[in-house]
Amino acid sequence: MPDDVLLETRDLAAGYNGVPAVRGLTLSVGPGEVVALLGPNGAGKTTSLLAMVGLVAPLAGEVRVRGEPLGRRKPHQIARVGVLLVPDDRGIFFGLTVREHLRLAGRKNDPSREAQVLDSFPVLRGLDGRKAGLMSGGEQQMLAIAKALLARPKVLIIDEMSLGLAPKIVQEMLPAIRDLARADGIGVVLVEQHIELALSIADRGVILNHGRVVLRGAASDLLRDRHLVEAAYFGAEEFASENDDKTLAV
Amino acid sequence: MQTYLQFAVLGLGLGAIYIGLGTGLLLVHRATGIINFAQGAMAMWGAYVFAQLRLDGTLMLPIGSIDLGRRPTVAVAALIGLVTAVLLGLVAHYLVFRPVRNAPVLAQVVVSVALMITIQALVVLRFGPNNIKVDSILPEGSWSLAGIELSSREILMTLIMAALSAVVWAYMRFTRAGVATRAASENERAAVLMGFSPDRLAAVAQVIASVLGTVAVTLGSALTGLNPENYTLLVVPALAVLLVARMESIGIVVVAAIVLGAFQSIIGLLVTKPWWPVWAQSGFDQIIPFAVVMVILFVLGRRLPSRGSLQTVRLPDVVIPRLRLVPAVVLAVVGVAALALTSGSYRFGITTSIIVMLLALSYVVLTGYLGQISLAQGAFAGAAGFTLSKVTSNLGVPFPLSVILCGLVASALGMLVALPAFRIRGAQLAIVTIAAALAIERFVFNNYSLTPPEGNPIAAATLFGINLSVREGRDLSRLSFSLMVLVIAALLVWMFIRLASGDTGRAFLAVRANERAAASSGINVRMTKLIGFGISAFIAGIAGCLIGLSRGQLSAESFTVFAGLQVLAVAYLGGITSVGGAMVAGVLGPLGIVYVLLRGVFDLGAYYPLISGLGLILTAILNPVGVAGATREQVAWVRRRLSRGGTAEPPPVADATPKPKEPSHV
Repeated sequence: MPDDVLLETRDLAAGYNGVPAVRGLTLSVGPGEVVALLGPNGAGKTTSLLAMVGLVAPLAGEVRVRGEPLGRRKPHQIARVGVLLVPDDRGIFFGLTVREHLRLAGRKNDPSREAQVLDSFPVLRGLDGRKAGLMSGGEQQMLAIAKALLARPKVLIIDEMSLGLAPKIVQEMLPAIRDLARADGIGVVLVEQHIELALSIADRGVILNHGRVVLRGAASDLLRDRHLVEAAYFGAEEFASENDDKTLAV
Repeated sequence: MQTYLQFAVLGLGLGAIYIGLGTGLLLVHRATGIINFAQGAMAMWGAYVFAQLRLDGTLMLPIGSIDLGRRPTVAVAALIGLVTAVLLGLVAHYLVFRPVRNAPVLAQVVVSVALMITIQALVVLRFGPNNIKVDSILPEGSWSLAGIELSSREILMTLIMAALSAVVWAYMRFTRAGVATRAASENERAAVLMGFSPDRLAAVAQVIASVLGTVAVTLGSALTGLNPENYTLLVVPALAVLLVARMESIGIVVVAAIVLGAFQSIIGLLVTKPWWPVWAQSGFDQIIPFAVVMVILFVLGRRLPSRGSLQTVRLPDVVIPRLRLVPAVVLAVVGVAALALTSGSYRFGITTSIIVMLLALSYVVLTGYLGQISLAQGAFAGAAGFTLSKVTSNLGVPFPLSVILCGLVASALGMLVALPAFRIRGAQLAIVTIAAALAIERFVFNNYSLTPPEGNPIAAATLFGINLSVREGRDLSRLSFSLMVLVIAALLVWMFIRLASGDTGRAFLAVRANERAAASSGINVRMTKLIGFGISAFIAGIAGCLIGLSRGQLSAESFTVFAGLQVLAVAYLGGITSVGGAMVAGVLGPLGIVYVLLRGVFDLGAYYPLISGLGLILTAILNPVGVAGATREQVAWVRRRLSRGGTAEPPPVADATPKPKEPSHV
């Protein structure tokens, strides 16, 4: 089993100025697996992701990549290990062209990989010399994912992809990511506001509220038991007190 | 026409230096977001090393030197100079700029100004303050173009620098590291997330910039010789060039640098013409960079790009001052006692300290409270001082009125400088103000038709028949003068505290924190800035008048750009956000009591600029709240400990919310 785990957090706590925004987070993602990290605003989702890539130093617990603790590695070193975050601002450079983005992303010049990635996002093919700042939100998001995939990540972490995108584009892109993850054996951690859409393509779901995991389970089970998810979303307190047995059959 | 062309070509020598410095500034800004005011000073060091090697075969190090026995060849000396530049770039990056990479802009400006002061001081200490001759690497000669003899050396220099700039351009354009530098300058976090280390890229940029500048200055100084002040301040026109290029385009840097150099040279020719007005003969070439900066910012009026960096740290905290009787009385008694119990140079040192405290206070108003960076406070002080000379000697305006009048003149000048601050802020405002300061120094203070070289006497003050002059007979530092300074300082501090604790002070702080938020809560941001600059310049102006009165006469040397920067250094060192900080700054300030002690007791006066520069670098990096702020924090900490009866511990990183029951696991 541990061989199968690409990224895992153990009892992770992270936050700002010594005040944790997320505590006791334990989760793992394996090859080809999509884990959806869900929760209302301020639940600590983004902080969790930032801690995984080293942009926020953990207050407690640890992050391991293929069983190896990341320790005090710098964010750019973690990226080189193969854990890539696509942040909620998409992490692209408005002043640079698509070509330059792809240039930066591919450590080695690897035309076959590039062709493979661009097959998933054919829109980008025609935009080689276009500056990223002049592209539409959907194109930018595709560029962000494409450039991450080009670097052959082991784990791809995507923060709020749907931010500022038309629902239709999200509906197209999420399944594409799901397929790519399966095909390449990439582990994906997905933070999404769009619960149903996220769970529909994810293998597992973890729901955070007030900085703690309040519910977790197989995505299909969570989809079925919508009332539990909603309770977890809208009031962790009540949820915890009213439901003595909030175990979700897994 | 022929002469104009020849002068334009001569100006290329200057243009080539601007190309080197401007390209370096651009690269460093792209890679770090920092505008390196020390670019000229850094470039100068390697050139000095080269010159010294060729002069007597001594390899001068910051501390100590190595005698190579005989003079190395030009090639070897140049190589050693370049290696020095590489090392200096690395040192500057890792020891100076890297520690402040996430600090507020103010700290970054201060740290680069501090580096500039430090290197300049070190150059003066190691190589001497005078102009030294530099061997020419390029052959002298001339080419003839359509019958006009043109100097070939300047043209060659320009071609070399343009070629090197093209290499930098290609690096930014075509190499992965270069593209990553551009990427990081736009969104540093995203570059990190792609596996790039902005730190490494910044180190590379600093080294390239340092080498580029050093090559330029080494070539260029063969034309004029090297001297510490001029080459340090060549960064100002280079900054103008950088703004013309909107901090983005290396191509425009090259063109603008050439045009500016040629233009300044032609101006040098024009001012010798009989029809050129006498009053505008001196320093007119220095008006041009300033004019260029202003035109770029006002006429073009587009926003200049700023750099998106990983995170920013807040400016140092401000504690709203309160007027308390006991400390005020204690301070007054200490001040009077210190002045009464000393005499001669020590009393004069204390008096100077009080005046420098006022200059520092002007920074507290403007920078600490309003969050604006001005490098022109020295110029405001100087303007008031020279006006005082005119109104007392020529017009006979009586004492308190004359000083107030000159303070108002400085105030008006300050409000003028506030105009660009409507549009720009941060490091760009620092560029405008240092350009203004340099223009004022060269065009006004150094202008013999405005400030005669034989001296600008200032009539001694008298009030109600009391003689307040600084010296009388053998007494070179009279008590009555010092007490007058103390009274004026006390009045201004009292005014400041009233202001800072009232609505105006809150408005300043609101503008400092967030201009848009301030505007949306009903604060007139422009008016607030105008008031802030006005008050700050008024205080600086009064200080300038007191400097004038304490000397009895003024010369251009009294108010150089560097003197102003040194006051900024100590103001920041003391603590830019409080009156206490200004007082510490006064004690530490140039020619103040610590300086007098250093000189008198330890004989270290010559090291003062170096010590203040290094102290400033350390403060900006380690302790942005300054000496006064750190002391206040310690006092507050001791108080907390005492009030808790010594049992207290810092609050643990608490689990703030009650632990919910553990949910199920997969």
